[in-house]
Amino acid sequence: MELATQIGGAVTDGLAYLGALATLGGRAAYFTFIAPLQGKPLRLQRAVSQAMQVGVGALPILSLITFFIGLILALQAAYELRKFGALNYVASAVAISMTRELGPLITAIVVIGRSGSAFAAEIGTMKVTEEIDALETMAINPIHFLVTPKFLAMIVMLPCLTIWANFMGVLGGSLFGVAQANFVFTGYIRASLDALFLRDIVTGLIKSFMFGITITAVGCHEGLSTGAGAEQVGRSTTRAVVVSIFLVILVDLVFTTLFFFVSGA
Amino acid sequence: MKIAARHLDKITIFDVSGDIDLANSPELRKGLLRELRELRTPRVILNMTAVRYIDSSGVASLVEGLKASRDVGARFILFGLNTTVREVLQLSKLVKIFEIHETEAQAVAP
Amino acid sequence: MAMEETSNPVVQGEAMISLRDLRVSYGEREILHGISLDVMRGETMVILGGSGSGKSTLLRTLVGLEKPSSGEIWLKGQNIAAISDAEMDEIRKKIGMSFQGGALFGSMTVGENVALPLREHTKLEDSTIEIIVRLKLDQVGLAGFENYMPSQLSGGMKKRAAVARALAMDPEILFFDEPSAGLDPIIAAGVDELILDLKKAFHMTVVVVTHELASAFLIADRMVLIDKGYIVALGTPEEMRKSTHPRVRQFFDRIAEPAVSEELDYLQMLTEDNRPKRVAAGKRGA
Repeated sequence: MELATQIGGAVTDGLAYLGALATLGGRAAYFTFIAPLQGKPLRLQRAVSQAMQVGVGALPILSLITFFIGLILALQAAYELRKFGALNYVASAVAISMTRELGPLITAIVVIGRSGSAFAAEIGTMKVTEEIDALETMAINPIHFLVTPKFLAMIVMLPCLTIWANFMGVLGGSLFGVAQANFVFTGYIRASLDALFLRDIVTGLIKSFMFGITITAVGCHEGLSTGAGAEQVGRSTTRAVVVSIFLVILVDLVFTTLFFFVSGA
Repeated sequence: MKIAARHLDKITIFDVSGDIDLANSPELRKGLLRELRELRTPRVILNMTAVRYIDSSGVASLVEGLKASRDVGARFILFGLNTTVREVLQLSKLVKIFEIHETEAQAVAP
Repeated sequence: MAMEETSNPVVQGEAMISLRDLRVSYGEREILHGISLDVMRGETMVILGGSGSGKSTLLRTLVGLEKPSSGEIWLKGQNIAAISDAEMDEIRKKIGMSFQGGALFGSMTVGENVALPLREHTKLEDSTIEIIVRLKLDQVGLAGFENYMPSQLSGGMKKRAAVARALAMDPEILFFDEPSAGLDPIIAAGVDELILDLKKAFHMTVVVVTHELASAFLIADRMVLIDKGYIVALGTPEEMRKSTHPRVRQFFDRIAEPAVSEELDYLQMLTEDNRPKRVAAGKRGA
């Protein structure tokens, strides 16, 4: 009985949390799409500077990580494939696992570490120093002012980063392909492209779009629910990272399942 | 706020009435700058007899007018300030910076 | 429109702020237990109280940061306890609030901070806004500091900059949360001077929350002492000074309050089981 109550409580809390995220996302969507029609201009300038931080700032580390991931994928795939003398399938194995799964996921995780945490820290600090309250007393909606540009930046930049990550993964795989599997570089790239259907790329991008929404919602929500005191900012930041990773995996699972059944594979 | 312009020989007089505030100070600013910068009127006079109140945006607009007049070598004159308006300008330390007269006769006098 | 201070202002002048039986709760805990108070136009009202008295909650409720659980708050003729967010925003454009730590936006210069409400809410040209910013910074004694970042300012300067930002829209009511907190006495006196100057110059209605007595007696037209969520005393500084009310005397004479007064309370404090309630109230929120 005790256990049932606890599970019930946890589920209720979880659903309430998701509800709060959805509310935040909904209000940001309102300020992105509907409010501009009512004469409240979109903060494109703030969105662009956020996009630079989220996107351009992440490029070096993301490139390095996904290059390695591509290489690792090639090595792991080759371990199995060479038993069948099918090393030439390394290219397609890497290309498909990158675009369908690892590209979006690794990008999301890098962005969580860099930007999701930064959103929570920035907004959390503003909460602690009463800057959020100050916005409200100046009749400036904090969601409109702070959260909406972050959503915009994320939903644009995460798919872009994902495409780049896919490319770097393939490049990493090609290192193995050229060195160990008798590919020439152009041949490896062509084999990768041949293996991909548009569907693979699009499903990956849809996922990364959803990841972008998830990461922003969690980061901003954690920031906005920061309690009083500087140590609370640290807590919010940690929670933002942990919860984001969990929810991104959950969203990944939901959408992968969905695509699996919809495409009738 | 209402603005009406009267044109004398090389002098333009704006008769302003009501409150100069956030809602309408851009209109006043535009009128002043056009008169000074584009039409190059050598003397622009603001009749403030009927102005009850002026807020910071109004004061800032007047400052812009004054700046424009200095830039083009024109005269920018205020007259007929009530105590509230005069007080606001005093607080902004602007009473001595603007050319301020009591009456229209003084303002248009050469 | 300057108001003469009076010991019975309810009969004279126009109330800018009227509170009627205002109650505010956090979760199940009621912080303010029915506050009724009038602040007249042009008056400086100082809200005094110790920490945990509810004075900060009162201020936050006045500017709409906390929702009352019951009662009325009349601000400029509207009951803000019962209006929409859009209507509240219109009122907020006519009030200014100076926060304890300044609450300046760290990513913007001082000038951009002051300009923000103007950029957000008006259609003024940038050049006009820039002049207003300089006027406001000059009024708080910070002329020439518009390109500084808040982190480059001292505590007192931050407060002045925050006041400049609060003044940007020419507010009719100015709220101050602990204007002298965290400042050394000389700097704090400077901020008090600033409040007096602004009030004299703009005939603004000013509401100040503080626990600094010297500052309170200097700037107040009237003061109200809040204790444990109730109004204990209300009056001019002179009346308060002469008051014989034990709580007023205790607060003014700075008599240390025993943590728990009665032996019975003390036993209860030591043994009472009060754990589970608070957590539940905070988390699920009914």
